Amino acid sequence: METCRYACLSGEHSLSRRGFLGGMAAGVASLAGLATPALGKQLEKDQKHVLMIYLSGGVSQLETWDPKPGTPTGGPFRAISTSVPGIQICELLPHTARQMHHLALVRGLNTAENEHGRGSYIMHTGRRQEPAMKYPHLGSVMSKVLGAEHTGLPGYVHISPGGGGGFNKQDAAFLGPRYASVTLGNGKPPENLLRPQGMTDQAEHDRNDLQDRVNQRFARSRRTAETEAYTHSFEQAKQMMARKHLFEVEREPTRIQERYGKHDFGRHCLLARRLIESGATFVKVSHSNYDTHYENFEYHIEQLGEFDQTFATLLDDLHQRGLLKHTLVTVVSEFGRTPTINRNYGRDHWSKAWSIALAGAGIKGGTAVGKTNATGTAVTDREVNGGHVFHTYFRALGLSSTRNFYIDERPIPMADPKAAPITEVLA
Amino acid sequence: MFVSTRTLSRRWSLLALALLGSFPLLASGQNTLSQRIDQMIAASIPELAKKAAPPASDAEFLRRVTLDLTGTIPTTSETRAFLTDRSPGKRQRLIERLLASPEFARHQATLLDVMLMERRPDKHVPRAAWQEYLYQALAQNRPWDALARELLSTDGSDPKNRVAAKFFLEREAEPNLVTRDIARLFLGMNLQCAQCHDHPIVPDYKQDQYYGIYAFLTRVSLFSDPKSKTTMLAEKAEGEATFQSVFDKTKTTRTTGPRVPGRPLLKEPKLTKDAEYKVKPAKNVRPVPAFSRLALLGSEIARPDNVPFQRNFANRLWAQMMGRGLVHPLDMDHTDNPPAHPALLTMLAQEAVTQKFDIRHFLHDLALTQTYQRSSELPSGMQEPAPFLVAQLKPLLPEELAASLYQATGMTDIERTALGKKVAEATLHARVSAATAPLVNVFRSEAGTPEDFQPTLDQALQLTNGNLLRSWLNPRTGNLIDRLTKLKDAGALADEMYLSILTRYPTADERQDLANYLQKPGKDRVAACQDYAWALLTSAEFRFNH
Repeated sequence: METCRYACLSGEHSLSRRGFLGGMAAGVASLAGLATPALGKQLEKDQKHVLMIYLSGGVSQLETWDPKPGTPTGGPFRAISTSVPGIQICELLPHTARQMHHLALVRGLNTAENEHGRGSYIMHTGRRQEPAMKYPHLGSVMSKVLGAEHTGLPGYVHISPGGGGGFNKQDAAFLGPRYASVTLGNGKPPENLLRPQGMTDQAEHDRNDLQDRVNQRFARSRRTAETEAYTHSFEQAKQMMARKHLFEVEREPTRIQERYGKHDFGRHCLLARRLIESGATFVKVSHSNYDTHYENFEYHIEQLGEFDQTFATLLDDLHQRGLLKHTLVTVVSEFGRTPTINRNYGRDHWSKAWSIALAGAGIKGGTAVGKTNATGTAVTDREVNGGHVFHTYFRALGLSSTRNFYIDERPIPMADPKAAPITEVLA
Repeated sequence: MFVSTRTLSRRWSLLALALLGSFPLLASGQNTLSQRIDQMIAASIPELAKKAAPPASDAEFLRRVTLDLTGTIPTTSETRAFLTDRSPGKRQRLIERLLASPEFARHQATLLDVMLMERRPDKHVPRAAWQEYLYQALAQNRPWDALARELLSTDGSDPKNRVAAKFFLEREAEPNLVTRDIARLFLGMNLQCAQCHDHPIVPDYKQDQYYGIYAFLTRVSLFSDPKSKTTMLAEKAEGEATFQSVFDKTKTTRTTGPRVPGRPLLKEPKLTKDAEYKVKPAKNVRPVPAFSRLALLGSEIARPDNVPFQRNFANRLWAQMMGRGLVHPLDMDHTDNPPAHPALLTMLAQEAVTQKFDIRHFLHDLALTQTYQRSSELPSGMQEPAPFLVAQLKPLLPEELAASLYQATGMTDIERTALGKKVAEATLHARVSAATAPLVNVFRSEAGTPEDFQPTLDQALQLTNGNLLRSWLNPRTGNLIDRLTKLKDAGALADEMYLSILTRYPTADERQDLANYLQKPGKDRVAACQDYAWALLTSAEFRFNH
């Protein structure tokens, strides 16, 4: 059965909870789309999404968004024209160049942090590390402020290239574990999503029904916000279980799979599109590994060869499906790479002058803001840091970037108060 | 009957006797602390008797107090015995038996560990040694002020008590982090905002208070001893706490000496430059100052006459038993956030001093109050749980949930049987925590954050589809499902199921519901019992202490 989209729910608003459980038993599991069907229509219209493509290790700005051909630091590649007159990018990104009208480049990033962990922290939280304060990841923030609870999916999904999956409470910091990220190692579904082997639909229905009755009896005289939150977590689990097919990208037509690319990054981006299409709030896809201290140019040919077509397809596909205008897309790394080419034909860590790319919701496509000098060693115009990027995210999504979170009574600004939005890239 | 399930060693019996003697009934005419608490509450709420929930049933009380004092639900046989017992004074006897048990010391040690360390990884001091240290402190009934003084003044240089330096060491002796956590956890004051400026919305919390504590710590750093290869604290003889307010346009730098909020500035001896050190700083040498600020930090914070310290003690133990602090949040004790009952907290803080910060004694008196022993069922007409009038629901701590699931499914009984005559609290605890650790990991808070109840998807998926609970529900000789499936009579089966999982007898409706379920066509008895037990184990009634 094809996985259901929001639209399926429009006719199901009157479904009672019991009806939903009965439906599951009859094998129409995918009707169980949303936490609160009444909210479905509203969300369908308003729901915003964020897609972060994380080029892990630190992609070279010179081999991507800010080429310097013919200079001592430029390396061997040419700059090519794009779908936007006047904006050129590196020739390693020919497919992406044709999507330039969707993209806004920020070429004046100076994050002043050359260590992987700390650089990654800046690009995930919009802050520098502080000893007694941990800030939440953008994904956790978005899952809170964009109301991910109502989507029936985890608010912050991270599709990682390999390794194990799991829930990462630390990413949510003070926002709390319900905004934690869930890692889908190599795109595999979250742990314990599938019901135990040997359990039938009927048995699952029976015991859920029992649990429901027991909870209703208890709630007659002892219902609190906390008991409701507890029973709701099982509701979420049921909804996730009913949508397990979301994780099966092989259900997509072969043609689509081929356009995305039949490699891990291609599958992962296709999964990201499926998740966003089904209402997921924040999806991060990591592509590894750009930490090219050796043979920078060889590795960028290889890595970007995978990235380029897949990313261009993803943008185009989101656009074709009408999702791009609701989805903020951001392509980031922990930092860029040194303009100076080292003796191993590598480039090292460089955070003083590098670039990111944005697209989608609230972003003015076909723009480039910020300049670096001729050899790319310093920002000469419109210098920004991680804080500015965070303000920009909020504003692009139609949110005020100067609001606070509160820990008890203590106000915590959602974005660094010392920075401001990069208004030039906002639509 | 009770003793058969929890073997008390001789030593424990002796301690139990000693402790029972420490809760004397006062001469007639004088009221106990428990009675005074109830009287003060009654005096503050007109017509309390009409509004308040009735006393908790025996079953409700047994489950609640066993969880609160020992961190798990009672065994099926304990439940049966308590519910059968008709003798007067059985609740007080239960409270005192639980408080005298090694399970109490273990559980209270866990609560202290979670509060003090907030699930930080054990980088410098091994977990087992720390837990044993806290366990011994509770088992020997060390007063909280004495324990706090030790935790806040141990530098870790003496291998004999290095474990007590864990509070500092696992925070890498980072002075801001330690300042923040001392104020929160020992004084009930969250001064974090005051790191950069006077608190913008809490007039009581000042930047100089923050830096007064910071001044005890600014000379302290982590030192790796080249010989023993262990970390410890080193302290210099110089370095002052200087600060500016970020709101101050004149950028005036201020300095403060060591001072604990509410206390005068610490008197420091004037030393000549050459007399500043017992051991001078040098490469790979741990400096030792002639005058140590750190050595006095503990005795300044944990002074019996330090009011914030007293109030924090009383408020945290109140919250532990009653489900919510008189001051809430626990670390926001200031004028603009008054306690739910200001006079009561003042009285309890003074009483903490009279009782010499005796945790057991204090909990004993709280557990005996009518306030603690009220039902958690909302009386008709009450929309949400009103303070003092109805018992609050408390989510189980991850350790409590895991141990209770293990007990309810009869897995702890299997461990007891396997240990046979060798069963002792420490051995059993080690086995239960090893078996339940994966579950605790899914439910516990993130390192460096206080335990907070936030039910999440991964937790629900774990209980729904995870291997662990499922394996405990597979029939094994002596576990719950095994016992249930051997019972022919549906009524007896319902009793055993409800007593084992929910610590109560089923109602007539519930009995009938279960009987119907067992008759369901196509469902064998094992599967039916598993389904039903799963539903009860994952219910809100099980998840909360009520």
